Amino acid sequence: MIQRLILIVLCISSISSLAQEQDEDLLRIKERLDTVSAFKADLKLDVDISFINMPQKKATVQFEKGKPISFSSEDFALIPKRGLDFSFQELFEYPFITVDRGMETVEGNKLKVVNIIPTDKKADFSIATLYLDLKAEQIAISEISTKKDGIYTLLLDYSTSESVLPTKVEVQFEMERIRIPLNFMGKDIDVDRKKMREEEVKTGKIFLTLDYKTISY
Amino acid sequence: MRALLATEFYKLIKQSRTYYALAAIFVIEGVVLFSAYYQGAGIIDIVLSNLKDTFYFEGNLLNGNLVTYFILNSLWFHVPLILIIIMSGLLTTEYKDKTLQMVMMQPVKKWQYILSKYIVAIVFTTCVVFVLALTSFLLSYALFGKGDLIVYVNGLTFFEHDDALLRLVYAFIVGAVSMVFFSVVSVTLAVIFKEAMKTWIIAAFFLILSNILLKVDFGSELLNKGLYVKLNDTWQYFFTFEIPWNTIYTNVALLIAYTLFTMGVGVYVFQKKDIG
Repeated sequence: MIQRLILIVLCISSISSLAQEQDEDLLRIKERLDTVSAFKADLKLDVDISFINMPQKKATVQFEKGKPISFSSEDFALIPKRGLDFSFQELFEYPFITVDRGMETVEGNKLKVVNIIPTDKKADFSIATLYLDLKAEQIAISEISTKKDGIYTLLLDYSTSESVLPTKVEVQFEMERIRIPLNFMGKDIDVDRKKMREEEVKTGKIFLTLDYKTISY
Repeated sequence: MRALLATEFYKLIKQSRTYYALAAIFVIEGVVLFSAYYQGAGIIDIVLSNLKDTFYFEGNLLNGNLVTYFILNSLWFHVPLILIIIMSGLLTTEYKDKTLQMVMMQPVKKWQYILSKYIVAIVFTTCVVFVLALTSFLLSYALFGKGDLIVYVNGLTFFEHDDALLRLVYAFIVGAVSMVFFSVVSVTLAVIFKEAMKTWIIAAFFLILSNILLKVDFGSELLNKGLYVKLNDTWQYFFTFEIPWNTIYTNVALLIAYTLFTMGVGVYVFQKKDIG
């Protein structure tokens, strides 16, 4: 009986030791991101969604701490609602706890994997997994499970190991198959309705290339 | 031959039904412009409603290119129907008014006479499509401005303004070839049936049947690619992301061959038939 109790106590203590209040490495990276108060960048967007054909689009993106990110474009552009928060301010907006998931090697890079779990119901995500490059103090991958918009993943690429903000971002997201009244906008002879029904939820990708004009710290 | 052509053009210009029909085409254009002006934004909203959860939209999609594309889509049915009515009238009125007998009493060769009808039909059809295209571009750009074109052809496809303009111009040119085919068929039907009403009904039926058969799978690669009904949507191929130029060249060549064959049949039948 005593042995069993000791075992239970040991199990509970080992689980609770995994769930830290807030991960030190993550906080260090967050602090670094917090130093960016504003930026303005030229944005190139390449869309990779099976049912959307779109040439490369250009836009200007503007960020100011505490404000929603804003865009402007001379021609039409589809800009993803998720995945453009490079400062990750949405992620750290409400109180959270972290869980250290250990180290993982991704494409030859050793990355620390940390789960972020918000403790406030107001947060619009339920869990986020961040892959941290501890050496460069950068977030390499973020996988965010939102409450409304499914899961989206960001693969971030930085021009140098000193960079705070990424220059290339791949945004992967889930989206519903578009439904259009057929016969409405042109030739529908080749529309495979069966295939369309099978592909209700699709994964889309958007590749963003950023050329920063100004970064204010 | 030149005198025959001049006379045929003169007759076409003098026919009141020519102007009614042309007015009908421009009324259709006006209705498209009017509805786009008042309902266009709503239509775009419906089309993009699914995407709104995932994306922000920056820019204006209800623009001159989209409205011109809507007008271009009248080449499916409305424009060929009106052209059929005008073109069959080139000959059926001659039968009805007995002017054909009078012409044939002159030193005019039958094949030259009917050929001049076909040439007038071809030139007039081309002019109608040209005027439709020109007015579409001018009015659409004046009222709605420039911008990217969005179409639904095997998925949502976006074209930048310059690209869209070029594709629309190409589509009108190839669309004119389809319209010429229907006009020539209409004249040939007039040669065979002589009566205006009968010719209109059969020509309209031909157009409806062609549109229905376009969507039918004939179970044979040859028929699915080579039958005339499968060629009349060639102008829509300009709105696929990568333009299938080889298919377009083949389809246009085949459509011209069908047109020439139909003309040949008409000339032959007219030559052999009693004009009375």
